[in-house]
Amino acid sequence: TGGHTTEILRLLSCLSESYSPRHYVFADSDKMSEAKICSFEQKRAETFPNSQFTLDRIPRSREVRQSWTSSVVTTLYSMLYSLPLTYKLKPDLILCNGPGTCVPVCISALLLGLLGIKRTIIVYVESICRVETLSLSGKILYYFSDYFIVQWPDLKEKYPKSVFLGRIV
Amino acid sequence: FRFKDSLAEDLRSADLVISHAGAGSCLEALEKGKPLVVVINEKLMNNHQLELAKQLHRDGHVICCNCSTLVETLQSMDLTALKPFPPGQPEKFALFLDKVVGFQ
Repeated sequence: TGGHTTEILRLLSCLSESYSPRHYVFADSDKMSEAKICSFEQKRAETFPNSQFTLDRIPRSREVRQSWTSSVVTTLYSMLYSLPLTYKLKPDLILCNGPGTCVPVCISALLLGLLGIKRTIIVYVESICRVETLSLSGKILYYFSDYFIVQWPDLKEKYPKSVFLGRIV
Repeated sequence: FRFKDSLAEDLRSADLVISHAGAGSCLEALEKGKPLVVVINEKLMNNHQLELAKQLHRDGHVICCNCSTLVETLQSMDLTALKPFPPGQPEKFALFLDKVVGFQ
């Protein structure tokens, strides 16, 4: 959604063309991300004409401030979509930055890893908005990601396993 | 106006930006080098959005106030004391990721 999409596109802005093809997964209720992504990819195609990307939607796993118990239910529902999608895509790398949508996708990738089907590197970048506390996705994925990146020194202190590179968006 | 796809044009021609504490709004204004006054809505006090506004204020990049103090803030503020906001560095992320993945 919104801010998350803007941030992730900035993270992608300096990546080489080895990071291809790019598969964007976002919530079905998200009306604005598709346009931002297409615009980013079109611009990218000017420098890298063989650029490839796809767009996939899954049900939104959690509304803002939705309760814990109902969030588990909606996330499980999203997994009905994210699991076959992740199985189909078998990504080498998942890059995510905090919208609820990333949790079912990452859990799916972890499951596929446990089943020996595909080992995916999970890199999580917490939003620049998060100065002192982690988002709910961050709190969960801090334990399940391979690399957890924070953008403010306070968070690096509180979450010692995280990586601090300064502001990267 | 209600909603525009992009405020880039308006931001470009503005001399001062007065905004709520939303991260996108704050960062967009700061990146365009515009002096920014952030108005904090006390009714949303538990909103994590405040974290960024508070940090930006601590670092001297924005002036903060709330709805009731806005007018006096505008009258008494010193915009020259604001520090410029350096851009983020996605190149650092790219370097890090290349190492992680094994592209060197």
